Amino acid sequence: MKVHKIMEQTELTEQLEKIRGKLIAIEQPRPNRLYLSCESENSREIVKFLFEDVGARFCVATAIDADHCFEVLYHFSYDRTGCVISVKAFIRDRNKPSIESVSHFLPAAEWIEREIHDTFGIEFRNHPDMRRLILADDWPQGVYPMRKEGTK
Amino acid sequence: MSWKIKALKKSPWVFHVNTGACNNCDIEIVDLLTPRFDVERFGIKLVGSPRHADALLVTGVVTAQAVKRLEEVYKQTPKPCVVFAIGACACQTGIMYGGYHVAGPVDKIIRQIDPGAIIAYVPGCPPKPEAIISGVVKVLSAL
Repeated sequence: MKVHKIMEQTELTEQLEKIRGKLIAIEQPRPNRLYLSCESENSREIVKFLFEDVGARFCVATAIDADHCFEVLYHFSYDRTGCVISVKAFIRDRNKPSIESVSHFLPAAEWIEREIHDTFGIEFRNHPDMRRLILADDWPQGVYPMRKEGTK
Repeated sequence: MSWKIKALKKSPWVFHVNTGACNNCDIEIVDLLTPRFDVERFGIKLVGSPRHADALLVTGVVTAQAVKRLEEVYKQTPKPCVVFAIGACACQTGIMYGGYHVAGPVDKIIRQIDPGAIIAYVPGCPPKPEAIISGVVKVLSAL
């Protein structure tokens, strides 16, 4: 990594100190990869901070069914250094999983949140338009194909 | 040979149906029409409506949402018509096997409404344009 990039990366780590209190852990397996784990209650503020204050670019959101909880991951790219930052939000309640939507200040996340809602059944609170996106029209309500219990 | 089959073989017009393909097979079909292969010189032409078509080029596995649409397109095509299942997904569901959105391969869906349908398979991921042309030639010489 070039010297000026290392400096910018240090800047990024310093900025992240501001939200350190809301995070469970910061993992950095490689110099240009960051995982910020947090509880789902804090995810909206952290995403807002990354997007508006740090100026990271939103790439995509993904979700994982991790047996004991759900994880929603918001992936950002910090283009000055090429660092990829993932905000990992844990949703502990498996029966009624819900998380605060980020699409008010980040309209690009609107559709991917709808897709996660379709396939995992995770409710995004205060989402402007929570209609079905990718499942077939005659797909039964309450069946979520990407969950571990599956459709079978 | 009935006059209908004779008319069908003379200059088969095809209608392209995408029932959930990844676009790769569709690109190969477009390849057929561009100057390198140029199937229009044989009178094979892509048309904009199934009612004008003699053959359907179906690409992609049939998703649950696409079943009704494919059936409707097949019903609107004048008979006799040939259904080409283009690509591994259309032939045997391929990589999508067992997926939650999959209703079945093309032949299963078509046979549900017309057991006597003429179905041709062009496997490959994606099939080469040469393979598609070869499939068309084989079907037309077998009819």
